Amino acid sequence: MKLLSKTIVASALVVAMIGGAVAQESVATLRSGVALDENAKPPQIPAMTNNDLRQVRNYPEQPPLIPHKIEGYQIDINANKCLQCHSRSAIGESQAPMISITHFMNRDNQFLASVTPRRYFCTQCHVPQLETDPLVENTFVDVDQVLEYVAGQQKEEK
Amino acid sequence: MTGMTRRDVIKAQAVAAAAAAAGMPLSATAQNLVTDADLTQLKWSKAACRFCGTGCSIMVATKAGRVVATHGDAEAEVNRGLNCVKGYFLSKIMYGQDRLTTPLLRKSNGVYDKNGDFEPVSWDEAFDIMAEKWKKTLAEKGPKGIGMFGSGQWTVWEGYAAAKLMKAGFLSNNIDPNARHCMASAVVGFMRTFGIDEPMGCYDDFENADAFVLWGSNMAEMHPILWTRIADRRFSHPGTEVAVLSTFKHRSFDLADIPAIFTPQTDLVILNYIANYIIQNDAVNKEFVEKHVNFKKGAQDIGYGLRDDNPLQMEAENPNSGAADPISFEEFAEFVAPYTLEMAAEMSGVSEETLERLAKIYADPDRKVMSLWTMGVNQHTRGVWVNNMIYNLHLLTGKISTPGNSPFSLTGQPSACGTAREVGTFSHRLPADMVVANPEHRAKAEKIWKLPEGTIPDWNGAHAVQQNRQLKDGAINCYWVQVNNNMQAAPNMMQEGLPGYRNPDNFIVVSDAYPTVTAEAADLILPAAMWVEKEGAYGNAERRTQFWHQLVDAPGDSRSDLWQLAEFSKRFTTDEVWPAELLEANPDYKGKTLYEVLFTNGQVDAFPLEETSEEYANQEANDFGFYIQKGLFEEYAQFGRGKAHDLADFDTYHEVRGLRWPVVDGKETKWRFKEGSDPYAKEGSGWDFYGHKDGKAVVFALPYEAPPEMPDESFPFWLCTGRVLEHWHSGSMTQRVEELHKAIPDALCYMHPDDAAELNVRRGSAVKVSSRRGEIALRVETRGRNQPPRGLIFVPWFDASKLINKVTLDATDPLSKQTDFKKCAVKIEALEA
Amino acid sequence: MLSFIKRVWATIRRPSVHYSLGFLTIGGFVMGVIFWGGFNTALEVTNTEKFCVSCHEMRDNVFQELKPTIHYTNRSGVRATCPDCHVPHDWTNKIARKMQASKEVWGKIFGTINTREKFLEHRLKLAQNEWARLEANNSLECRNCHSPDSMDITRQSKRAAEAHERFLFTGEKTCINCHKGIAHELPDMGQAGLTLPHSKPSGEIESYLKTAQKN
Repeated sequence: MKLLSKTIVASALVVAMIGGAVAQESVATLRSGVALDENAKPPQIPAMTNNDLRQVRNYPEQPPLIPHKIEGYQIDINANKCLQCHSRSAIGESQAPMISITHFMNRDNQFLASVTPRRYFCTQCHVPQLETDPLVENTFVDVDQVLEYVAGQQKEEK
Repeated sequence: MTGMTRRDVIKAQAVAAAAAAAGMPLSATAQNLVTDADLTQLKWSKAACRFCGTGCSIMVATKAGRVVATHGDAEAEVNRGLNCVKGYFLSKIMYGQDRLTTPLLRKSNGVYDKNGDFEPVSWDEAFDIMAEKWKKTLAEKGPKGIGMFGSGQWTVWEGYAAAKLMKAGFLSNNIDPNARHCMASAVVGFMRTFGIDEPMGCYDDFENADAFVLWGSNMAEMHPILWTRIADRRFSHPGTEVAVLSTFKHRSFDLADIPAIFTPQTDLVILNYIANYIIQNDAVNKEFVEKHVNFKKGAQDIGYGLRDDNPLQMEAENPNSGAADPISFEEFAEFVAPYTLEMAAEMSGVSEETLERLAKIYADPDRKVMSLWTMGVNQHTRGVWVNNMIYNLHLLTGKISTPGNSPFSLTGQPSACGTAREVGTFSHRLPADMVVANPEHRAKAEKIWKLPEGTIPDWNGAHAVQQNRQLKDGAINCYWVQVNNNMQAAPNMMQEGLPGYRNPDNFIVVSDAYPTVTAEAADLILPAAMWVEKEGAYGNAERRTQFWHQLVDAPGDSRSDLWQLAEFSKRFTTDEVWPAELLEANPDYKGKTLYEVLFTNGQVDAFPLEETSEEYANQEANDFGFYIQKGLFEEYAQFGRGKAHDLADFDTYHEVRGLRWPVVDGKETKWRFKEGSDPYAKEGSGWDFYGHKDGKAVVFALPYEAPPEMPDESFPFWLCTGRVLEHWHSGSMTQRVEELHKAIPDALCYMHPDDAAELNVRRGSAVKVSSRRGEIALRVETRGRNQPPRGLIFVPWFDASKLINKVTLDATDPLSKQTDFKKCAVKIEALEA
Repeated sequence: MLSFIKRVWATIRRPSVHYSLGFLTIGGFVMGVIFWGGFNTALEVTNTEKFCVSCHEMRDNVFQELKPTIHYTNRSGVRATCPDCHVPHDWTNKIARKMQASKEVWGKIFGTINTREKFLEHRLKLAQNEWARLEANNSLECRNCHSPDSMDITRQSKRAAEAHERFLFTGEKTCINCHKGIAHELPDMGQAGLTLPHSKPSGEIESYLKTAQKN
């Protein structure tokens, strides 16, 4: 049951070996080939994604990303701009997703009458996205795919 | 252990390849719900978070050998189900496509060449060339010619194995962790004030304090889960106050009742002013002070930890002196008397009202105060002093070691405490707060390690910054970096770091999971297993030791640092690396490999393979044929048991959500030094600061001294560097997670809009930030999470393509040798489009 | 005293012996223009960002907060300055607002908000004044630039377009209802009774809650 990774790695390894046959002058992927003693021209500050389209979560426990601009949103001791739309009582008007029920639970997993202060600072978990490309692809495999693989395996065994 | 046949394996691989090739989540169309329990059940296991020193417990879901989900552990006291954004994305940190899966050696024409390109090699070839270089250097220069640089990201047993290999195998104390950049000032602060390392309080203080004072710390971004506990307390208990002190405005100010932006270095002034206020307003807890406190005056004008021939260093009257003379309370009062409200306000730029409100928090006997700090205090050319001076306030008022009264030194790395500090991976240390300079300590270590007397060298090894200097100077020629990215992290990269690594006389080895900036500067790269690809243990900032099992296999040929260390030790015999006299006197050790001496010594190999978990794999134990992690841990635990560093037995930690040492009779300790809470505090003492022989803590009289470099006409801005919430550990893991990268893709130059206007640049402009040492190119940001005052810029260092440490100054605290990454002088120029 | 007034009155009443009627008329007109122009110039001077931030109370508090916002810098480079939002544009209301401002001069002289701490103490009241004013005039100063007629909602984000369709175009809400804090930091919204939108209990419930608390 623990071999999906081996296969993926094995294929990655093959790629690496093929790539490796050609010796690499630079390996620091995140620097896009710029030598350590040089400075690349910095890219423009990208725009913040503002399409209001919800993204598929990598797994159910992942906090949803913010699909809109939050520049200038005040979340401090005085005010919480996010709750203006996402609080339980605001969503009728705003039609925004309500904050998760976990956000009403205190440290002892008891539900409070209102949002728990430990969840007050939204941006500790929820972040907007800037319109830029990943520096390196990520080979995380979605659980649905893993399930399909396991199911396929079971079928074969039968 | 998995119960799979070889046929299953082949089948599994075929299907997995198909699944992986698809690349995207299955389409949601026309999919029925999968409900078969066999299919949907995930295996959930606990682990400690890979990132900061908070030490959150994580639940990790695995299926078919892959991590498929993670979330905050609801049962863990530290985080009670919460994670910060990067914690929630832990599932993806191991799956960057550029994971290193095979050793890479610089070669030309099939042989090693320092100027060659990286080519894949086998582990054998890698260790062969490494051993050849090590042996040559050891023969020519002795143990001082080799060095090792590790980190607070090593698991407990990895750090322990590394320290043992260097100090007891190669007989070299040239081993240091990157915790030197992070926690060294805190350590020396603890040792000077209390005589024993690490916080007396614990996270329970968050739910008990009436006021929180952040000394230069931005917990909202750097310790987000502890910040949730402060926010919880602040909002749900009316009257609770939060004071935030910093040299620029950042996210923690969002919760500040008392915000204060001070001129860099004047934290020294503010602290002495508060001490003075406490004394002038009769707020000293006289009974406590009389019973539990000594007063001392520390040496002054102690230099800046620069190279000895640096003019600033030569000017200092008492360079690197930590000397201190006893004084009376009255003399201390006199010493701080000049630090008046007016003087403090003028020097710090903080208003008198604010300073007074701050002082009252400490002076009011009815308010429980928690002081919190990390890099703002530790990365400071007077960092040890600031640590001492924060303790001064708590000791003068007796606000210490009781629930809510807590001077609390936070940590940056996940095991800065558990590994770097407790295990003693510093160049001057041994486990359990012992030091190599002390013959009794060496003797104790030799006894536990079953080594002949006189094995462990008595000289202090080179610390982090000194190692880079010695690489540049060619004094260290063989250097092994494990589990950190020091080319990106160490100061003054262009004048010290890079020339050191690329010095033709040197052979640099870097073990990492990813090809970092440091790996690129190396000659040999070793692929490392990371996080839950190995059985591990971390110790967090509240002395909590946490374990996890190996949950998935490491990719390709990558192996854990522990495996690498132990394997490498097999390639040396004592005859090759130990002095002849030592072997003459102890012939039993002749001809043995270091592996035999260090790892199959009857202790480390005392636990058979059968004792490993049936449920989880264990790569190293299988390879070596015994439960090596348990053996190392139990041997290491001998150092601390009975010495107020007691750890529980190995197996217990796999069951619980961590325990806070000292663990005595199965019971953890929440508040050290307090009778009734700490089993080591003597009966009838009330408080017992047993780290010092007389049971007393020390209040230090220390002055304000100027920083080594200040803005001037040529370099008119202060530069402060730091981190961001979404990236940790130089971004080597987090920059490979798309969501985290897109949240904050580039390091920016945060500056005041008026400064930008004056320089004729604006938000988004490309600028060159340069110092006397180097330059980088960045975009200007005048909005957002960090808002510096005029005359100061802030640049984060996570970004591998914008290396701010080309600019920073390698001045250190002269006592702790920790770099000041928070203050140097720079200029800013518009880059032509 | 009385005789003095009588004497002056007599002088004013008596026709001029030295100056022609034409001179007096034209001269009066010219002087009128000069005075009126001066008044207006003075009015204009006080109607600039520069004048507003010449007081440190404005410069160090609200003006600093404006700088990182979209009303200060934005894609097209148009800046809303203080009076654009805080001084009515038509004459009558402007004069009325200027009369009110004399109270602010009073505040300046007596240092009502001359420290950061004092400013923060008053911030809620100050903000409430502006919110009330904008609510009363249907966000007039917002609308001087942002009129619903000139709004192309296809150029807005989906979220903004929907909100404007539902609330702005129908007249159900006015700009300031949703856009508080757009240019300056918000005061304590808990104290303002605005933490949770629309959660203010109705009279009946409020009295129930009060009795319930007593019991």
